[in-house]
Amino acid sequence: MKTTLVSTLSSSQSLRYSTMRTQVDLVKAQKERDTGKVFDSGIALGARTAQTVTFARDVERLNGIVDSNGIVSARLKATQDSLTSMTGIAEQLLGVLTANASGDAAPSVTRDAGKSALAALTSVLNTPFNGEYIFAGINTDVKPIDAFASGSPAKTAFDTAFQTHFGFSQSDPQAASISAADMETFITTALEPQFLGSGWQANWSSATDQTIVSRIALNETASTSVSGNNDAIRKLAMAAASIGDLFDANLSEAGRNALVNQMVGVVGEAIASLAALQSETGVVEQRVDAASDRIKVQADLFERLIIDTEGVDPYEAASRVSDLLSQLETSYAITARIQQLSLLRFLG
Amino acid sequence: MSLSSALNIAQSSLRNTARQTSVVSRNVLEASNPDYSRRMAVTTASPGARSVEIQRAANEQLFRQNLAALSAFNGQSTLFNGMERLNLMVNGVDNSTSPATAIGKLQEALQLYSASPSNKNLAENTLDAARQVVRTLNDGTTAIQSFRTAADQEIGTAVNELNDLLSQLETANNAVVTGTRTGKDTSDVLDQRDAIVKKIAEYVPVSTYTRADNDLVVLTKDGSMLFETVPRKVSFTPSGVYAPGTTGSKVYIDGVPVALGTGGNTDASGRLAGMIQLRDGVTTTMQSQLDEVARGLITAFSETSPGGVLPNQTGLFTWSGGPAVPAAGTLVTGLAGQIRLNPALDSAQGGNPELLRDGGANGAGYVHNTGNNAAYSSLLIGYGERLDAPMTFDPAAGLESSSTLGDYATSSIGWFDGLRKSASSAADSKEALAVRTAEALSNETGVNIDQEMSLLLDLEHSYEASSRLIRAVDEMFAALLGAVR
Repeated sequence: MKTTLVSTLSSSQSLRYSTMRTQVDLVKAQKERDTGKVFDSGIALGARTAQTVTFARDVERLNGIVDSNGIVSARLKATQDSLTSMTGIAEQLLGVLTANASGDAAPSVTRDAGKSALAALTSVLNTPFNGEYIFAGINTDVKPIDAFASGSPAKTAFDTAFQTHFGFSQSDPQAASISAADMETFITTALEPQFLGSGWQANWSSATDQTIVSRIALNETASTSVSGNNDAIRKLAMAAASIGDLFDANLSEAGRNALVNQMVGVVGEAIASLAALQSETGVVEQRVDAASDRIKVQADLFERLIIDTEGVDPYEAASRVSDLLSQLETSYAITARIQQLSLLRFLG
Repeated sequence: MSLSSALNIAQSSLRNTARQTSVVSRNVLEASNPDYSRRMAVTTASPGARSVEIQRAANEQLFRQNLAALSAFNGQSTLFNGMERLNLMVNGVDNSTSPATAIGKLQEALQLYSASPSNKNLAENTLDAARQVVRTLNDGTTAIQSFRTAADQEIGTAVNELNDLLSQLETANNAVVTGTRTGKDTSDVLDQRDAIVKKIAEYVPVSTYTRADNDLVVLTKDGSMLFETVPRKVSFTPSGVYAPGTTGSKVYIDGVPVALGTGGNTDASGRLAGMIQLRDGVTTTMQSQLDEVARGLITAFSETSPGGVLPNQTGLFTWSGGPAVPAAGTLVTGLAGQIRLNPALDSAQGGNPELLRDGGANGAGYVHNTGNNAAYSSLLIGYGERLDAPMTFDPAAGLESSSTLGDYATSSIGWFDGLRKSASSAADSKEALAVRTAEALSNETGVNIDQEMSLLLDLEHSYEASSRLIRAVDEMFAALLGAVR
């Protein structure tokens, strides 16, 4: 006799197997519903996992660049502020010099204005930002400008230049005999090399001409600082230092006038250069901001792509969970029914 | 016909019923034993008397199918489970400890450092990120090699078990052969023999055929002899501790080596082949990819001398062959285990992290920041750009031969997950097949308790009828003897 047979073992085991598979699926579906992502992205995406890992890493890198651009922007902002205050200093000095040229002020007032302008300039240049001297070029751990005080290399060099040119010192009574022409020659031959020539880096500044270069986007670098060796700053320093040091009652009136006349021009040039420098800095600031914006857009795009590849439709996940739950309940019910379904219950 | 012969027939019917009942009860007893084949007590009319013969339900076809499915499933699930473990050990949960992630973090740290190069904390931060990269590579290598060592030991254990099963098979087969020759009921030893063959099929794929006297011959799928009258030797010499580049020794079945399976949906069948594929296939490729990542890192961070006067030498990362930079585009086996931070830069080893900014880990000839300027960023930016520039990789590692280092590291994850995905879906379908064939086999040869119960009812009836007959005969005899008295 040959009949179709279902073995008791296989009927109970197939129930158990299908219940177990449903439970496994349920665990996965529940996690997918909770996280909104596929249960195991590696298994769900296979070789495409590389893509999402790349995206995820790029998002973090891009956000890292946005962060570092934040540092750069802050530095540029500080630079911009400092340039504004330098312009203020220059304008104030120019005001005093013009007043002097019209003959209203005592020499000591003009001299003090020069001195305070130089002190203010030095302090602005030497203000550290975030642990860096931002006007030091790339030599940011050293104060860019030495104070112009007696004994300092700058002052000594200045005095020596005067001494060498005239054969006597500033405080010498002979200074009263310096003519306008003498003063002009002194300015062009001795003073300018001190500031606009090699004397600046030798005696005044420890800044480098090279400025800080930053990577502001994945393949874009920008020069993101202003060096204290900029001509505008040198000129302003020259005007302030020479006025503050030489503009003395000791000096002949002709010499003083010649000095003021020259320096009015120099300060004017400095103001114009500062304005140009400010707008250059503004352009870089804008570039950094634009780069950050661009990167944020890119990062958003990558994030969306990650969600597209790894994400699951929350409604679909939720409905799958409820489907599986009802399936599981049915399967439990059937198991209980089938286990009761035995001939043994009717025998006896 | 006499009354006594009627009594005799009734007695023999009782005996037959008892025999059949014992078969039913045995069937019920073994209903949940997957290796048990249902017995049927068939009454045969042999000349002289009706007697009961015991038959054993069997289906050669389904049995073979089930064996093949078992081997395929065991091979696949061994591979898949091994890959899951490897994935966690090397790449971590959600790839969090993968070299790709660590390299991303290093790039971030480098970017931040290049934005303010004077900040020593950021230099330390970059070094720390580099340290993490080294750790993932070293740990990955250790994990892979200890995985291989464990797989090797498992293969050793599996080979011993297989040899043991084969000697058990010999005993069972001998019992079957003698039983068949002497005409005894061999059902129990046949069950035992089938169970052993099933277990063997979990280790190696087998094909079987029976010869005269029910003598079983077992071959592997590719034709090497496993068992013929006597077990053949399965031999294997464990290699002990594995290092990158160690070639695992082969498993020989009757002198023929077990082939290395390929692919995620592997053609390796049986647990042994699955473990061999893990030990010699997946892990070695994974190791060489880690090695290539390590080589890429050492190369990307190598130091140049200004003007290119001196040869490039290892910078942030170095290796046992340092300070020379490994040859371009050529796999160096085990490099991921050798890569380490350059002591000249590692503050934990008394080095100076700022050499990363200035150059000069290999002496004054390699210093770029000659002015010792704190905000010198060119080298840092340069390293960042080198990481983003395409490099040449050895095609032997199984990935693209030209890509950026970061992409290469993620490709490695992609390669592995691609394999894992196909291994996972193949494991699911092979499991389903194994379950289905087992079910079919069980349906064909297993016990249905309900059926046995209904059989029992029949038997009860026939028993009752027979005993009723005996009583009737008894009463007739009593009536007869009463009349005589």
